[in-house]
Amino acid sequence: MLAWTPFLEPMNAMQSVWYLLLLPMVFGISIVYRALREKQYANYWRSVAIMTGQVVIGIVGIAAALGLFVQIVIPLLNQP
Amino acid sequence: MSNTYSNDDSIPINFTAIVLGWLLPGLGHVSVGQKRRGFLIMGGALFLVFCGTLVGGIDAVDHNKDGLWFIAQVWCGPVVVGIDLLNQTFIAPLPIADKVTLVGLSHANEMGTLFIAMAGLMNFVVLLDVIHAKRGEDFELRSHAQDRRAS
Repeated sequence: MLAWTPFLEPMNAMQSVWYLLLLPMVFGISIVYRALREKQYANYWRSVAIMTGQVVIGIVGIAAALGLFVQIVIPLLNQP
Repeated sequence: MSNTYSNDDSIPINFTAIVLGWLLPGLGHVSVGQKRRGFLIMGGALFLVFCGTLVGGIDAVDHNKDGLWFIAQVWCGPVVVGIDLLNQTFIAPLPIADKVTLVGLSHANEMGTLFIAMAGLMNFVVLLDVIHAKRGEDFELRSHAQDRRAS
């Protein structure tokens, strides 16, 4: 990590926790999208936080459902 | 039966704003007087490009090896073209032994590429919005102007 040159070299330290990068990605997307859709600036950052939370919860839910399907449902279907 | 829908044909197309919006995300909105909206868009899009380059390195943009991804990324404008140029100049010509630490592998490369592709696709949506954006319709004002247009 100490020998890492930012921007020139990839951040290989994130390989094992790559899924945490979902948070900044959704946050950035929400900043741009809510800037287009929001009518009142007073509600802007609140709506960015809500959209970020909704998307993260949605993706975590889909991941959990797929995990259950692969780990539990498919083994059950394969039983004789 | 009266037509209550607004007619967008009467609103001129902002060609200059579209070009400026591609040159720097959000600049199109700033040029039509929507400064606060434009700077927020600029911050969000550049944040995604910054994170993508930080995670994946400058190899996250490569029009030769990731051509389809580059189509999505290039909507973010010259920033992305510049990163690709740096990649093609400093990393792509190197022998494989020297490239090992500079080229992203697996998740680092995937996420870096995805971050910048998301920035490009979001800026594409921003460019669609700025086509018919009305001058000075920044936050607070946009809702009133839309109400007037619909009535």
